Amino acid sequence: MRPVAIIGTGQTDHARRRDDVSQPELVREAASRALTDAGLRPADLDAVVIANMELFEGRAMPELWVGEGAFANGKPCMKVATGGTSGTSSCIAGFHQAASGLFDVVLVVGFEKHSEGHTQTGMALTDPFWDRAVASGALGNFALSISQYMAERGVTEEQAARVAVKSRRNAARNPHAHLKDADATVDDVLNSKLLAHPVRLMDMCPQSDGAAAIVVASADRARELCPRPAWVKAAATRHEQPYIGDIERRLLTMRTLKDASRSVYAAAGITEPLQQFDVAEIYEPVTYAELAWYEILGFCPEGEAGRLIEDGVTEMGGELPVNPSGGVLSANPVGATGVIRMAEAASQILGRAGAHQVEGAETALVTGYGVYAWADAAILGSAA
Amino acid sequence: MSERISVAIEMAQGWRYSSGDAMARFSEGLRRKRIEALQCGGCRRRYLPPRPVCGNCHLPLSDWVPVSDKGTLEAWTVVFLPFLDARTGEVRDGPYGMGLIRLDGSDATLNHYLAENDPARLAVGMRVRAVWREELRGAMDDILHFEILP
Ligand SMILES: [Zn+2]
Repeated sequence: MRPVAIIGTGQTDHARRRDDVSQPELVREAASRALTDAGLRPADLDAVVIANMELFEGRAMPELWVGEGAFANGKPCMKVATGGTSGTSSCIAGFHQAASGLFDVVLVVGFEKHSEGHTQTGMALTDPFWDRAVASGALGNFALSISQYMAERGVTEEQAARVAVKSRRNAARNPHAHLKDADATVDDVLNSKLLAHPVRLMDMCPQSDGAAAIVVASADRARELCPRPAWVKAAATRHEQPYIGDIERRLLTMRTLKDASRSVYAAAGITEPLQQFDVAEIYEPVTYAELAWYEILGFCPEGEAGRLIEDGVTEMGGELPVNPSGGVLSANPVGATGVIRMAEAASQILGRAGAHQVEGAETALVTGYGVYAWADAAILGSAA
Repeated sequence: MSERISVAIEMAQGWRYSSGDAMARFSEGLRRKRIEALQCGGCRRRYLPPRPVCGNCHLPLSDWVPVSDKGTLEAWTVVFLPFLDARTGEVRDGPYGMGLIRLDGSDATLNHYLAENDPARLAVGMRVRAVWREELRGAMDDILHFEILP
């Protein structure tokens, strides 16, 4: 397989409602920005990958509808739909396409326009016999897993609240973020509405309208086109068994994320993630999940994630800034969310992250999380 | 510039899904308050919901094993937000308790409602028992919810 790199990124300004544009226009906004960032024209693209969870909007064949906005006419175009991992998996599909030698330049675009449909309905359309009768969506599933995580590892509501504060404060420096609050406090989070014990409104990711895109290029094209490409050092994706009851201890073990991360760590020579990564953009759908991922990803031993957030280790200026963008807690157009993680990590390596740039970032970790089960992991670096 | 519009669409739609033979047998059991899992001869895992092939070993499964309607609460929450019932389209109002229950005799956990909805009275590790509906129909909601055992 050939080395590949990300040479440009583009995002919309994510928001609760984008009534000013249709879905294809939303996609075009992000796709155009990514092309501009990469210094390319539509004719330079060899293939397009699209990420979207069409049940949320209720539109059949969204790739046909929005493909034109993604400059896909007359080109190979495919869609990836794996819940929250749609975005990261579509990026990995783009990496594979360029790495295989079939294509030199691939555009990956993810989008969601939650305001136009029924996210809760989409989430509830599970196995009609087994769990349709007892569906409580992403929120209920997270809350269940969290009770187990708290009971076994002693994580507190206050420690989780600190994740929300970090996220919304970081988002205040990101022009694309949906929820920003430079003055957020732990009390604000603890006083926000209880949705499903112990998860409060400010612990949860929002539903956003938004799109994000990256341009992936083969090594030769990347060197031609970009002064400092974000090289893909490794990428892995893991599928899980179908039912929440199949998954052993859920947040506590998260075997898909553990396997995917250990696979990319081995490929990229990562043995001390906290020291070796300069920045991480991880898919944290809820505050408690970010803490669980610190442990799964090996940033700290099991049971010490609370201490990590209390000590500010993952804040901007800490040893490993996690989600300088504000993360999923600050913007969540589901099909785009994983592409946002990849675009944000790439921007950090490209040196184009603006007010939330981690100075001199050379190695970045990206993760994706789908439903309660799937996981992706990727490592980007400044050296080929 | 013209005024922006949005197009509103409402639709009522029906679906019909086949359960497969393993779920058909399981469903028949529910009508007699009987819960059964399928056990894999390779990894010994006792599957709920039962399925014809082990996803890990890829072996066909045919060993039905009895599972109790009592179990242990592995995880719980109380949902305060109203949530859509995807079978009926109706809204279930909060607060309602939910749990992941490991039934005695099963390796998988079952996601179901709890009779208790006070967070102060719920804890991981509690013993629970299924409360069955009066009229059994061979569906998952033949179990109304799980009650906490003393
Ligand atoms: Zn097996």
